[in-house]
This record gives sequence, C-alpha cells and structure tokens, in this order.
Amino acid sequence: MDRAALRDVRWRMILRLEASVSVGIGLLMLIIWALAGARYFWPAWVWLGLAIPLALQVAIRRGRRAPKGHRLLAAHGAITCVLAAILLAIWVLAGAARHPFWPVWPILGLSVVLVGHAWIRHALPTAREQALAERVAVLTRTRRGALDVQAAELQRIERDLHDGAQARLVSVAMNLGLAEELLSKDPQSLTDLLAEARTSTLTALDDLRTVMRGIQPPVLADRGLEGAIRALALDLAVPVTVSSEIPGRVPVPVESAAYFAVCECLANVVKHSGALHALVDLGYRDGVLSVQVRDNGAGGASLTAGSGLRGVARRLEVFDGTITLTSPAGGPTVVRMEVPCELSSPRT
Amino acid sequence: MRAVIAEDLALLRDGLTRILRAHDIDVAAAVGDPVALAAALEEQQPDIAIVDVRMPPTFTNEGLVAAIEARARRPGMPVLVLSQYVEQLYARELLLSGAEGVGYLLKDRVSEVGMFVETVRKVAGGGTVLDPDVVTGMLTHHDRNQAMARLTRREREVMALMAEGRSNAAIAGKLVVTAKAVDKHINSIFMKLDLPLDAEDNRRVLAVLRYLQTD
Repeated sequence: MDRAALRDVRWRMILRLEASVSVGIGLLMLIIWALAGARYFWPAWVWLGLAIPLALQVAIRRGRRAPKGHRLLAAHGAITCVLAAILLAIWVLAGAARHPFWPVWPILGLSVVLVGHAWIRHALPTAREQALAERVAVLTRTRRGALDVQAAELQRIERDLHDGAQARLVSVAMNLGLAEELLSKDPQSLTDLLAEARTSTLTALDDLRTVMRGIQPPVLADRGLEGAIRALALDLAVPVTVSSEIPGRVPVPVESAAYFAVCECLANVVKHSGALHALVDLGYRDGVLSVQVRDNGAGGASLTAGSGLRGVARRLEVFDGTITLTSPAGGPTVVRMEVPCELSSPRT
Repeated sequence: MRAVIAEDLALLRDGLTRILRAHDIDVAAAVGDPVALAAALEEQQPDIAIVDVRMPPTFTNEGLVAAIEARARRPGMPVLVLSQYVEQLYARELLLSGAEGVGYLLKDRVSEVGMFVETVRKVAGGGTVLDPDVVTGMLTHHDRNQAMARLTRREREVMALMAEGRSNAAIAGKLVVTAKAVDKHINSIFMKLDLPLDAEDNRRVLAVLRYLQTD
C-alpha cells in the first residue's frame, strides 16, 4: 500500500471517531433537553456546531482529491458549498417563516468570490503550465535545428557520393569502354587505361568508406565512444590524449552526436588552433555525460563564427545537451559539452 | 568536327576528352564552369557543346541553364547535356529551347563508346537524342495521354526508339522487323499526331517533341 492510500485510511478512521463522538454528544444534548422539560429545541444549534467541523473536513478532503492543478479551486468550491449549507441551516433553525430569506446575500457574495477564483484560475497559467510552454518552445526550436542539421547532412552525403564514388565509377566505365575499342588497335594504351580503371575503382572504394565513416563510423559501433575517439585521435596530425570515466555504454544516438561533436572540435584544433597538443576528457556524473576538448593553441574561437560548432550545438540541443566555449585570445581553448542521458549496463 | 566540353570533375573531363580525341573529334576547349563555357563557346564556335548538368558555383543545374542560354544566344547550337542522373523535367526544359541538335544522356552511356560518339555526331548534325531512362519515364507518363493513347503498342515502341535518336534501320534491327514495316509505323504515327506533310524533314523531330511535351 502506498503512502497516499495509507493516509487516506488513517483519515477515514479519525473522521469516523469524530463522527461517533459528535453523535454521542448530540444524543446527550437530546437527553438533557428532554429531562429539562423539552421546551425550545436548542440541541439543534449544538448539532449544527458539531456538524460544521465534520462537513469542512469532508469538503477539504474532496478538494484535495481533485486532479493536480485544480485542487485549490475544488477545495474552495467545496467549502463554499458547506458555508452556504451552514447559512441555510441557521436560517431554518432561527425560524424560517419569521425572517426574510437573508442567506441569499452572503451566498451570492461567496459565489462571486468562487466564480472570480475560477476565472483567475482559468485565465492565468500556472507555474507548471508556464514551464510546459517554455519546454514546448525549446522543443520546437531544437526540433527545427535537428531537421536542419539532418538536411545539411543528407546534402553533404549526396554531394560526396556524386563527386566521389559515383564520378569515379563513371570514369571507370568510360575507360573500360574505350579499352574495349582499343583491344585490337592499340594494346599499349590499353594497359594504361586498365591500370587507370583499377586505380579509380580503388579510389571509389576509398570514397565510399569515407562517406560511410561520415554517416556512422563502424569503430563507434564496435568500440563505443572512447574507443572511436581514440581511433580518431590516431589519424590526426596533432597528438591527442584521451581519458574516459564512463561506467557503461552511452545510448547510440547520444554516442553518435558526441562523437561527431568531438570530430568537429578536433578538426578545429588541427585546422585553426596551431596547438601542439589536445586533450579529450569524457566523464559521466549525476545522469549527465560530459565531454571536454581542450587544446593549447592560439584561442580566439567562437560559437558564432563558422557553422561548425554551431552545428554541434544544434545537434546536442536535440538531447537537451549544452555546449560552452572558453577561448581567450592566446588560448587555451576549452569546449565543454554536457548531455543528459542514461547509461546502459557496463561493458563486460 | 570540333567540340567544347564543360565538366567540373577533372577525372571525367579528361575521360571525355580522351574518348572524343580517339575518335577524331577535335576538343577545342575543356572547361570546368559555366562562365568559362560561355567564353569558350564565344571564342571557339564549336560544332557541339558537351555539358555536365551540375557545375559550380551551386552544383545544382548550372550546366543545364548554361546550355539553354547558349542556345538562346545561338539558336540551334547543338548541345549534348550529360548527367549522373536524369530528370524528365530537365529534358523538357532543354527541349523547350528547340528540339533540334539536343541530346540528354546519363553519363553511364559514355562507356558504350561507339554509341556515345555516334550520339555526339548525331546531335551535332541537328538530331535529338534522349536517354532511354528519360524516354521510359515519359512513356509511362504518356500512357495517360490522349494523342498517345491512339498509338498502338508497336507504334509507341517505334516512337520511343525514335526519341532515343535511332535511325529507321536501327529501329528495324532492334524490333526485329523490316525497314519497310518501320516506315509504315512511322507514317502511321505522323498521321495520328496530325503532323503536316509539308514539314517533311522535321516531322521526325516534331513527332518526338510532341511525344515528349504533351501532358
């Protein structure tokens, strides 16, 4: 049994006890009234007094059971009903026939207050609603960013294939076509053509591998984030030290985004920073993957200049990730990226 | 015969140049972008321009645009457009600049060197040659078309081969019928498409054009 249900049971017991005590007192008053000669029926007022706390408790309780965000209003409504009932009871007990129907005025007042509350409740968003609206705005923006990134990626892949592998295969076909013709006429140039065709085929394969690496590097699937970054570091002109403390496997989409983010950062290090050395530090704490890329280069990098890091930022935003850059003139440059995610079980 | 080549990828530019030269077609200039193409055409006045669809600066369809512009400056200037993929839309735009001396081929076709060189000569001589892929695409498209619906299946096959730039003899060979039968089919096509007799020389091109441009 959960805590709410337990509280509910306890409350019911207390209420039942209260009700029994009240009924007891009420009966006692009735007996005293009868013994005292049964004149003006005053115990009714005592009963009213006993009923008020019980009714208020039930009313508040009902209000609290309403769906989240509507509880205050529901409690207010229930209490208003109880107060109206009390006023009516007083009017009846005071001898309904002898007085005008005065409770109409206080009940009207209570109703106006209740309607006012309801209107305010309806018109003004709650803190929760504001938070949700902000969240929707963020999601809308990051989703658009993600789609932009994706479209740019697809365009890049298409162009790489068109200018790379596809063009080389066309050239191979051309050469082989010409070779076919030369077979009898000019055996010497035939040899050259065939050699060129073979070279083009190999280069086309290289191009295809490059494109595939750009889509999803096989080493990332094989070795995870740390291994893939180590593999990447080996191919770079600048020495890179990689350290990692991640007690498990990062989810594939985050892994891919983090990998390409590091690729971009390290490419910047090689191309722009003039650094002699770079550090990549991977960590995971309190449900957040942190990736830090640091170099001892010239600094002066910015998130706005060039689309590289901005693209990274948009890619990370999809996962609610953030990127911060400190790069004073003269260096060092530190890019810190954080992405909330859950790790799967540690690698064995 | 003199040709100008416009192709931004050096590998393919060299390949094309080599093939044409091996077949005694003089390559007067081989350039890599539309601006250089316009200058080369102006300077060389070649018999044909062989143009890649995709060129700098935006790598979309600059080549196509440049080809159409070249034909606007010098009407009837033979242009053979090459591409790594073919689009019916591009074929239509190209044909709107006139159907004579126009070719549009997938680059893959260049590997059939003999056919390719023949195509270059045909387009330079004012013929219309479209890639079989474009023709096939248009064929399915035109199944819904009324004028085309009047053609028999055999006549449509003949039509498709005409659009690929084949001669009567070649069509006869491909369909395994006599040249006389092909003649009969073609006359029947001209009749059904209401092509006038007085334009005898152009009727072939006109038929192809009508075939390709009707919606």
